[in-house]
Amino acid sequence: MDFSELLNEYIEEALSHIQTVDAVLLGLEREGFREELIQTAMRALHTLKGNSGMMGFDSLKEYIHEIETQLKRAVEQRGYERVIEILSDSSHVLRRAIQKIQACPDEPLDFTEDLQRLLGHRAVESSSTVEMSTYLGKRSDTIKVEFSRLDELLNLVGELVIYKTRLTQIETDLKEKVTDKYLVKELKETLDVIGKNISALQEGIMRVRMLPVRHVFQRFPRMVRDLSRAQGKEVELRFEGEETELDKTVIDELGEPLLHLIRNAIDHGIETPQERLKKGKRPKARLVLSAAQESNHVLIRVIDDGRGIDPEMVRARAIERGLLSADSPISEEDILSFIFAPGFSTKEQATDISGRGVGLDVVSRSIARLNGHVYVESTPDVGTTFTIKLPLSLAIIPALMAEVGNEIYAIPMNAVEETVKVKDTDFNYINNREVVRFRERVLPVVRLDRFFGVKRRSNGRFYLVILSKAERRVAVTVDRVRGQQEIVIKPLDETVGKSIGIVGASILGDGRIVLIVDVSTFFERKEVVHG
Amino acid sequence: MADFKLPPSGLAEEILPELGKEQGELQVVTFSLGEQYAVPIHQVQEIIRVGPITRVPNAPTYIEGVINLRGRILPVINLRRRLGLPERDLTKASRIIVTEVADKTVGLLVDSVSHVIKLPGDKVEPPPEEVLDIDSDYITGVGKLQDALVIMLDLERLLKREEEVLRRVEQKEG
Repeated sequence: MDFSELLNEYIEEALSHIQTVDAVLLGLEREGFREELIQTAMRALHTLKGNSGMMGFDSLKEYIHEIETQLKRAVEQRGYERVIEILSDSSHVLRRAIQKIQACPDEPLDFTEDLQRLLGHRAVESSSTVEMSTYLGKRSDTIKVEFSRLDELLNLVGELVIYKTRLTQIETDLKEKVTDKYLVKELKETLDVIGKNISALQEGIMRVRMLPVRHVFQRFPRMVRDLSRAQGKEVELRFEGEETELDKTVIDELGEPLLHLIRNAIDHGIETPQERLKKGKRPKARLVLSAAQESNHVLIRVIDDGRGIDPEMVRARAIERGLLSADSPISEEDILSFIFAPGFSTKEQATDISGRGVGLDVVSRSIARLNGHVYVESTPDVGTTFTIKLPLSLAIIPALMAEVGNEIYAIPMNAVEETVKVKDTDFNYINNREVVRFRERVLPVVRLDRFFGVKRRSNGRFYLVILSKAERRVAVTVDRVRGQQEIVIKPLDETVGKSIGIVGASILGDGRIVLIVDVSTFFERKEVVHG
Repeated sequence: MADFKLPPSGLAEEILPELGKEQGELQVVTFSLGEQYAVPIHQVQEIIRVGPITRVPNAPTYIEGVINLRGRILPVINLRRRLGLPERDLTKASRIIVTEVADKTVGLLVDSVSHVIKLPGDKVEPPPEEVLDIDSDYITGVGKLQDALVIMLDLERLLKREEEVLRRVEQKEG
């Protein structure tokens, strides 16, 4: 966690502990000597002592320790006046100390005089020297909001976007029927202003929903420690770019796939210290969780410096599992992607962490649900890097609108490489699979009309949408391309079942629903593996 | 037995609120799929005309598609297909009954919506055993009107059954 944020938390907590002490003081003055009240103050002070030590404020920690000692003695001697004196004096001192920390956290604190007073060597300071505003404590500049409220707001904005587009259409229709040009012009101008405001509102709400990935990274240090200890491995966990922000819904969904990747790295990637020494590596392995924003995406990486993945073993396993034919020509990078194929993993052992054996296909699928994808790079004995590529926002994405027959589909732009016009004659068959030559490469073809069971308009021309996932390419045929549009993603109700190839839906300006294509499906299918 | 004629629009929600106030007897919305069917009124959110429906490829056949109901995307079940009845083209009388059951909002495509009626308990009988099989426990009874019978559907069971069917299909595929 960022130190300044930790510090803020510490300060806020410290002030609340001091408030507890003040409340106890009031209670003692009202109700007389009550030991349980003093216990409450002691507990607050004790926590504050621990926190202060953790933050490195050692002199403060020692001062509080002395308060505790003095208090205990006073209670034992039933020195009621003394208890009040200690509490009221230390409350002032503590408040001032926290104020100092807030102003300049790096400056050392000096409690010499306060300690002397506490030990009874000096007269008690009168409270008039204390700044009055210290009683108010720090004004908080953050509020907590239930996420569902933000969700509601975003939904409302989504609807505003839809109806705004509808209004623009009405305006176009009106232009032809209304003779009062001035009125139409004014309507248009007003609509433009509304449009700008809606965009700003949308962006504002999206930003409020963003959280630093730190929130998910933070869950892992403990797990990494426990897991590596249990396996007799030494692992140093490092975070990079943990302030990179992502939509909270993405952050929430990211935990599980990351957990699997990290567990995978420790279970299979990282070697024991002995093994590492033999290879001439540092005995302590390094595991890095990194995040970085790249244009419209966030890249999350899990990097280990372990034994890496042997492509030959992957190839052998893929052939054994019937995922690949023995004579398939396939590059080494492509071979590695088989580890995400359903049914590839043989590790069925349940561990403490997940409680069940889950393969990387689960990771791949859950990332696909977030409209992202995951890929792997590895060098034997140097290490493995898993990269998760995610759209910045889960809710609104740019998409290519493509017509197939009478239907319109939205293809998320993050997977679209380019679009080209082609003729039927540009296609070939290799080994019963349809392929197309494109920029010196032979790409597998997915005919969207057939895939979705749409009757396409019969003309010989259509468009190819070239989709990419890591190094792989697939050419998808559509009848026409309508251009790009920002769309609000809405999930499809589970009642419609697992509609293969569809990841969600969106409502267009005219109220029409378009379905959003699940691009990853085209890469999962065995027949389109090599590109 | 009270019989409420629907307003000419056929949009029952215009008179639903006042009906909801009365308690006691079973209030149902009846609709036609050739035969007369009925669902409890408390499961009906509204009744709408059939607008554009977006087909969902690779979905179960009884899913007619999805519709946009004021910014919400709802699945629409073709009830004829779901119940294994012969297909029939859409007409002007076709309606979508928007139902809300167990936190889910689902549209049911029906031939037409007939009435909202109050059925006294003694006019409802359990379904004759001969017409039931294991997959039709969503038929909860048969209501006897003056001139006809209505088949009472339990939507919760119907939708639950659907999930089970889906699960079975998925298991087979997996």
